[in-house]
Amino acid sequence: MPVNAAGEAVPPAVSCRDVSFSYDGETRALDGVDLTIAAGEFVCLLGGNGSGKSTLARHLNALLVPDTGTVTIEGRDTARPENILPIRACTGMVFQNPDDQLVASLIEGDIAFGPENLGIESAEIAKRVEAALGEVGLQGFGTREVQALSGGQKQRVAIAGILAMQPRILVLDEATSMLDPRGRRGLMRLLRELNEGGMTIIMITHLMEEAAEASRVVLLEQGRIAADGTPEEVLTQTELLAHQHLEPPCPVRLAAALAHVGIEVVPTVDEARAASSIADAVRRHARSQDERQRLMLAVAAAQDKAVPCASARRAEAVIAFEHVFYSYLDRARKRRHARAHAATRGDRAWGSGPDAVWALEDVSFEVYAGEFLGIAGHTGSGKSTLIQLMNGLITPERGCVRVDGISCADRAGAEHARQRVGVVFQYPEHQLFAPTVLDDVAFGPRNLGCTERAAHERARHALELVGIDAARIERMSPFELSGGQQRRVAIAGVIAMEPQVLVLDEPTAGLDPASRRDLLGLLDELNEAGTTIVMVSHGMEDLAAHCTRIAVLREGCVASVGTPDDIFSGACDLAASGLDMPAAQRMARRIAERGVALERRVYLEEQSLARGIAAACAEGVDA
Amino acid sequence: MGGIFSFGSYYPGTSLLHRLDPRTKLLGGLAFIVLVLTAHDLAGLVVVLAFVSFAYALARIPVREALASLAPLMVIVVLASVLNLFVIQGGAVLLRIGPLVVSEGGVWSCVFVAARLALMMAGMSLVTLTTQTLDLTEALERLLAPLARVGVPAHEIGMIMGIALRFMPQFASELMSIYRAQVSRGAGAGGALARARMLPALMVPLFTSVFRHAETLACAMDARCYHGGVGRTRLHPLRFTRLDAAALVVLVLFAACLIGVNTLR
Repeated sequence: MPVNAAGEAVPPAVSCRDVSFSYDGETRALDGVDLTIAAGEFVCLLGGNGSGKSTLARHLNALLVPDTGTVTIEGRDTARPENILPIRACTGMVFQNPDDQLVASLIEGDIAFGPENLGIESAEIAKRVEAALGEVGLQGFGTREVQALSGGQKQRVAIAGILAMQPRILVLDEATSMLDPRGRRGLMRLLRELNEGGMTIIMITHLMEEAAEASRVVLLEQGRIAADGTPEEVLTQTELLAHQHLEPPCPVRLAAALAHVGIEVVPTVDEARAASSIADAVRRHARSQDERQRLMLAVAAAQDKAVPCASARRAEAVIAFEHVFYSYLDRARKRRHARAHAATRGDRAWGSGPDAVWALEDVSFEVYAGEFLGIAGHTGSGKSTLIQLMNGLITPERGCVRVDGISCADRAGAEHARQRVGVVFQYPEHQLFAPTVLDDVAFGPRNLGCTERAAHERARHALELVGIDAARIERMSPFELSGGQQRRVAIAGVIAMEPQVLVLDEPTAGLDPASRRDLLGLLDELNEAGTTIVMVSHGMEDLAAHCTRIAVLREGCVASVGTPDDIFSGACDLAASGLDMPAAQRMARRIAERGVALERRVYLEEQSLARGIAAACAEGVDA
Repeated sequence: MGGIFSFGSYYPGTSLLHRLDPRTKLLGGLAFIVLVLTAHDLAGLVVVLAFVSFAYALARIPVREALASLAPLMVIVVLASVLNLFVIQGGAVLLRIGPLVVSEGGVWSCVFVAARLALMMAGMSLVTLTTQTLDLTEALERLLAPLARVGVPAHEIGMIMGIALRFMPQFASELMSIYRAQVSRGAGAGGALARARMLPALMVPLFTSVFRHAETLACAMDARCYHGGVGRTRLHPLRFTRLDAAALVVLVLFAACLIGVNTLR
């Protein structure tokens, strides 16, 4: 046991001894977990759906108590009732969905909730609320209504509410999964600062970029610990991760891709270090004439296999936005809003302030038949408004939205738009309602006036298209399905209406990597079968890998439209829009900075980057 | 729909009335209603009008804002006064339409009831205009606290009201997104029957969402050490000040004037 300055033994922050737990008495969610976390560690718990990571997190706060084995927090056993309050007072817990955690209507009231429960003096609570607001970048917003905030902002309030309790251990259960990239980076920065200040951080995530920043990674698999070590040790075990449907971080994937073309580098998770070792390897290989010959052949062979880029089909426009303006605020509020916003404009660290509600301003672009259009933008950039306009749910204040050349402004136009454009809103599984899966999917066709038989036929076809075994589950209640399956059923409900354009708002939000990959594959299939796809997302890797064109929204305007190559070659523009470069492109820049003469183009994934590196190697150029 | 919600919605400010203890305002509001009911004639109403105007001036709420917040309630005022117009009889008959008779007494009563109701509502809405809902729920909790001894769960009632207020707009916006999603699946197009058919498609997802929220919320509250009202402190504890004493004096003065006017006749 470690000792403190005074020479006393310090119990570890968390100690799990042979912990098993089952929700139903049959399947074990946790199965003999042994885990010790010392004070001051930054631990990431990784695992696929059903690996038991959330169950483990709830044990750390005495929300669950093990069936067998013991969990002790700072030496206190969670099974003893008298320990529960002290344990919860020193272990803060942040959940996935901020909407479920906020108790009070006003921001300050919610942040004060924890300290109030602890019986802390009013003056001290006020001080803590101020400090916590400052830490999450919401100074001066204490008396705002929680309801007016975006998801990311609500999550900041939830974290502030925990910080005000001054915990020594912070547990985050997929707390970043509903944030946009800027919000995520802000949260990670805050966690690092807290960790440097001595707080123990235990973070549950599927995101490798986050796991790579931890000091220790614990991989769970079916309630057991499958790996435990530094990010360097765990995240480079590609096969082990693949078993959990997890993807290693970009530098590790790049190392694997390079091995494929015959360049051996030691895989590492740190981007800077990986770039240096790749640059060294390139120089080594380039020195030998034989090596260059061999790489030349390898590149040529790989290029033959490479799929030619989809030619820019310049088809007719299905949806056309013509100088569209839309705002949510009436005039008086707009003026107040403009004034309030001017005051907060400086604060960019966390993303937008609570006042930044962007309406659409002079938006013009077209969606072409058969394309896969991505729409990228930060929270509140107007993406959701855009979607509702496409469907005739709202009409522009000025300008015009046309579907097949017909304006959606009047009733007939809106109805036409709804038949041609199917919209899958965020978290579509939250709209399931019917007693059986088949009934739910047939809801749309029935509304279109199909007979019962025709509606069922369409529903079965749609279920088949989304890769669901209709015969097996069509009689089941949609609420019995897993999250990923529910989402597929919900999407089938829109596909069953046989729209020509399928619009999806953040279709992968909240899914684990495996379901996410499957869903994106499904969208590709639908697109190949002729459906035009419009996907709103802030996952730049997904947009880069699947879209034929991308439109970037910034603060209610279209900042740029073009092929992924066009978009990602002007990367500074992206940063201003609060978006990331795809990781492969970031790696390409780092490698080029280290003197490798990479061809100047856009690398959207690791394979093409590996080929580019091999080509640079074969040229033998050392700039 | 926005009109209904604008009734008595909080008007931010730092006036004397805003700074009063919400308990004072709640009890004062109740006393005000009782007192207004004792006003029987024009003179009494003039006293009430003077008091209400004085209070609005103290709260620094612009006339337009005050009237706007009252507008949705005028339906009740109009209904009540029209009822009086026909029901109350007395004095000369002014108008006879079939079985309906309008008399002098009816007209007088109609005008009087309208004025009294409008003033009463103006006074009550001043309470909510100057008090945040959370403070109101806390005031209620504190006022009910003595009843906890006889088994009234005062703290829990306050907590429930607070959480209800927090989630009301949340569920309104969730219902709106569910509605949008179902409409874009063709629901509700064409006739009343289609709209009726849409109801389960709205209500089932809404209730599912309510239960989902409730489950995690309970967990999140546990995790933040919530264990009932025992030993809980407040960020803004309620405290009676000299201001509240002054308010009591003003209220007593108002009552004295009103009773004086009532008995002098």
